[in-house]
Amino acid sequence: MLEISIFSILALFMLGGSIAMLVNKQTLFSAFGFLVAMIGLAGMFALLDSRFLALAQIMVSVGAVVVLSMLTILTINAKEENLPHEPNKYKWIAFASLLVLPITLLIYKSTSALYASFATMQTINSKVVGKLLFSEWVLPFEIVSILLLSAMVGAIVIARKDVVQTQGEES
Amino acid sequence: MTPELFFLLSSVLFSIGLVGLVARRNLFVLYMSIELMLSSVNLLLATFSKVLGDASGSVIALLMIAVIAAEVALFLALIIHMYRSSRTIDSDTFDRLKGQIND
Repeated sequence: MLEISIFSILALFMLGGSIAMLVNKQTLFSAFGFLVAMIGLAGMFALLDSRFLALAQIMVSVGAVVVLSMLTILTINAKEENLPHEPNKYKWIAFASLLVLPITLLIYKSTSALYASFATMQTINSKVVGKLLFSEWVLPFEIVSILLLSAMVGAIVIARKDVVQTQGEES
Repeated sequence: MTPELFFLLSSVLFSIGLVGLVARRNLFVLYMSIELMLSSVNLLLATFSKVLGDASGSVIALLMIAVIAAEVALFLALIIHMYRSSRTIDSDTFDRLKGQIND
């Protein structure tokens, strides 16, 4: 009973946050909705007994990703006239929802037909995750570290100022 | 407490992300929709990890969080680059790859 109520509150947070992200015109309010959705997702991970995953979600998704995107939004500081002009936004959203609804039902039906109950197990704490990460999953772990390094270098190269200028001179 | 609720929530979140990707034109909203879709898959992985009683799903979700972080860095750098070159965050402006048929 307690789990169901916690789940409903968290699901309400997540759905409300993501819908607020979807419909807001101001970009910063969209980012706040996204923040609420990510915190709700961390709570869901904790509810699913993945403690280390909940911590990583809070640290990376909330603490780094959302804060970085908010900083970028505030740095760009797009004025009202620079925001995209979307006169019939709600019509598009309703149309796309109708279009996506069969996909939703398909995903839900195909996943929920697989398993009907949870397995009884101990909580997944950092000890279990660390043992798995350094024995079975050590190659993906190393590949992810190389990916992160190359993404950082690529982000620095893309966001440099003279990339735009040389392209402008060529064209 | 059954896994069906988690499956339902995950599919609904994925669909909200897909709708945002199709219907909106703000570059930041597009980026956050992609994030939401990736996070819904993360929720699905954590649910399967609990359903099967296997911690590997949790480890995959952990690796995916790192991939999400890399994607965020690249996407934000790309948005800054696009904003510098054309002073707008409207995704309909960036149609240079469409080609011009009439010319």
